[in-house]
Amino acid sequence: MNSASETTRRPSVLHIFKIYYPDLFGGTLTVIRDICASLRDSFASAVLVCSQSSKRREVINDVEVERVRSFGNVLSLPAAPAYPWRLWRRIPEHDLLALHAPFPLADLVFAFGFGRKRPLVVHWHADIVTHAGLRWFIEPLMRRTLRRAKAIIVSDHVLVDNTPLLREFEDKCHVVPFGIDTTTYDWSKIEPHHVNDRGRLVLACGRLVPYKGFDVLIRAAAAHNFEVWIIGEGVERPRLEQLIRELGLRNRVRLLGSVNDCERIKLMCIADVFVMPSLTNAETFGLAQLEAMAAGRPVVNTALDTAVPRVARHGMEAITVPPGDAGKLGDAIDTLIRDPERRRRMGLSARTRAVTRYSATAFKEGMETVYREAIATPCKEATATAELRQASGWPDTVRIAAALAWSDMRHRYVRSLLGPFWMSLQMAIVVAVLGSVIGQMSNAGVLARLPMLALSMTAWTFLNSVVLDATTALQGSASLIRDRALPPVIFLLQCTFRQALFALHNACVPLILWLVLTPRNFSGALEAVPGLLLFVACTFALSLVLGAMATRYRDLKPIIESSLMLAFLSSPVIWSSDMINHRSTVMRLNPLTHLFAVWREPLVGGHVDTVSIVYVLVALALLILASALTLVHLRKAAFWI
Amino acid sequence: MVSISLRNVCLDYPLYGAYDFSLKRRLLGHLIREQGEMRIIRAVDNVSIEAEAGSRIGLAGPNGSGKSTLLRLIAGVYPPSSGSVAIKGNVVPLLGLNAGVNLDFVAEDNIALLLRISGRKPSRAVIDEIWAFTELEERMQRLPLRMFSSGMLMRVLFATATAFPADILLLDEWLSVVDERFAEKAQTRLLNLVSQAAIVIIASHDQPLLRRTCTRIINLDHGRVASTAVVEPPSTHPFELREKRA
Repeated sequence: MNSASETTRRPSVLHIFKIYYPDLFGGTLTVIRDICASLRDSFASAVLVCSQSSKRREVINDVEVERVRSFGNVLSLPAAPAYPWRLWRRIPEHDLLALHAPFPLADLVFAFGFGRKRPLVVHWHADIVTHAGLRWFIEPLMRRTLRRAKAIIVSDHVLVDNTPLLREFEDKCHVVPFGIDTTTYDWSKIEPHHVNDRGRLVLACGRLVPYKGFDVLIRAAAAHNFEVWIIGEGVERPRLEQLIRELGLRNRVRLLGSVNDCERIKLMCIADVFVMPSLTNAETFGLAQLEAMAAGRPVVNTALDTAVPRVARHGMEAITVPPGDAGKLGDAIDTLIRDPERRRRMGLSARTRAVTRYSATAFKEGMETVYREAIATPCKEATATAELRQASGWPDTVRIAAALAWSDMRHRYVRSLLGPFWMSLQMAIVVAVLGSVIGQMSNAGVLARLPMLALSMTAWTFLNSVVLDATTALQGSASLIRDRALPPVIFLLQCTFRQALFALHNACVPLILWLVLTPRNFSGALEAVPGLLLFVACTFALSLVLGAMATRYRDLKPIIESSLMLAFLSSPVIWSSDMINHRSTVMRLNPLTHLFAVWREPLVGGHVDTVSIVYVLVALALLILASALTLVHLRKAAFWI
Repeated sequence: MVSISLRNVCLDYPLYGAYDFSLKRRLLGHLIREQGEMRIIRAVDNVSIEAEAGSRIGLAGPNGSGKSTLLRLIAGVYPPSSGSVAIKGNVVPLLGLNAGVNLDFVAEDNIALLLRISGRKPSRAVIDEIWAFTELEERMQRLPLRMFSSGMLMRVLFATATAFPADILLLDEWLSVVDERFAEKAQTRLLNLVSQAAIVIIASHDQPLLRRTCTRIINLDHGRVASTAVVEPPSTHPFELREKRA
């Protein structure tokens, strides 16, 4: 294959981002495209993104683009469950990884130490602003990614100063301002007044999303007499259209939608004033204003804590107004509209700044240097050994947890002959009583039901006790965690192991009942094993998540206790699904129903419903994800106890 | 190669008050826009320590200056808030002796469990060796620890904790055993352990002790390194001991 021989000559770079052309247009995408295009001679680029369309692989401008299926956006993130897996598969094929942050889905992969051997460069485009409530959850992941990154590329130094997370890694940050190919903006033949001699065309450009602040611009237009054209597409469109109608501006304010590059450049060149009304620090640089500067347009931008007011500076290339202030924005635009001489002067200096400060060549060279350095320097040994220590720690963790659980069980035998069998006895009594009560309620053979009732009770007792134990496990082992530096996860694992040992004791009740009361048929027992394993795995993951949360938030314990009680009553533990009139909705939605079904059905000789299997697997996947996040946070458990 | 390298390490210790443990309160706080400021204390502030094999570092400072926290940070109990921590070699923290002890168990089982917790396989020979050091009667091995006097308990715990050499030894205060006759023997054993470890870090208020055992004393104050003093190695006790062993 042709590309195979090419990769041997040029190092290959994998760009990791959430979306790519033509699904969306926007500043970050332009940057990725520009990097791919300008480094074409020295690096072979590939892009891995998500997409809602079905087309998977294609080559756009010599760049191989792979799209992972996404099922829409959740909290500004594509819901692409396969993405982490695809990323992990792709990592070994490339020499360098370029993550375009923020993209927590990829952070997830790096946080767990995958792709450790490949150098990683993080392009820091913006901080997370829109869903700041999720910071506590995403920041540790981002920190881990940044910790293992070779270099962090930012467009302006002010981002490092204003982002606490970046300040921690200040020595890794490289400032490479975005560059722009100014030659494409040489439309000297078209003088603005030739095309639009009304002298009042105001242009803005960007995705129609809330932080871009186009509603502020529209409100500003209401009070003045200029014309506003907005290039871009996005979710805000219906709202903006409504706003335009309400303010009666339909003849002056136009939403142009997506526009191709050539057309956009032309529009930039004929506009009188370019406006960047962005509201939040999600706007880090404002590539669009740089384009307008290249086209020699004066800019009105907002005083954000990012590079926005530093690319086009107040009084020189731009007028900077407070973000979200429609009055000041309108006045600033109006000032420029009324003063053609000032417009011309600012436009000239804007053009000069774009050509000298933000040239495409400087951008290309900056990128190339950072990329080459990242590939050249070997992975840091210190971090590697630290990870190694953790990796080798897992068998130890399990061993210690097992030893502790074993000693807990032996503790039951101290000063007691029967030990945990006292609990089995109690269980036998419960089963006998319940069995007789249920026998009154249903007409089917009570005796035949007893073994399953006993087994279900055993399983429920296991789940119930594991979760309850986990809520207090970390506090109970505070001294081991703080003085012996044992990883907290040991003690959550210990709960599962201990209760599993007790459950084995309890299991003698259903075993005896089964041997005595039913014809012996061993075929079902084997089929039930995978289901039981799923049950145990789910229980452990659940206890891990709830155990950690209950330690952090003490008021959760009573809630968990009562929820478990409720779950017991609403799940088919002591009753079975055929005893009540055909599967109520609550029961069908209850994950516990399915969690019990996956091993109970094979035991009674039935077949497991596919729905149940899918339900349990999805629940397990979610729990594993939650456990993984919990493990990250569990590092801080020593603070909580 | 054993080494410890702390670079510009900071640790922000969150102080959880009664309300900070409440999820309901936190969620409500979000709703009513009351930003509950988490109180944070900077327990370790911009500390850099480099230690190679052979280092004996003493941490001195008043109560609450961050000595124990720093030891726990090196042991991996607390994750650093910023800065880098790189540690090579296995760390044995002897910060509290009675962690993980179950008083209902017989002494023998406790020793086995404690060894397992520190990642060692408890064999008969190892347990016997530990027991021999405690100088307690053989039959007491099968008695529950509950029946031991505090002095005897201390002997067992001390003997178990110091049974195996470590690459990196972290001591919060010099382990002392009150029992007169046993104290000297314990002292020797600990010095022996210290001399075998590649890196030892001791936090203590006892300046003469630190000067006797350490090559470098770091004075901490409010989590910061106030001063670092290099101790001239006189012909001290541990030195002789090491030569005797060689």
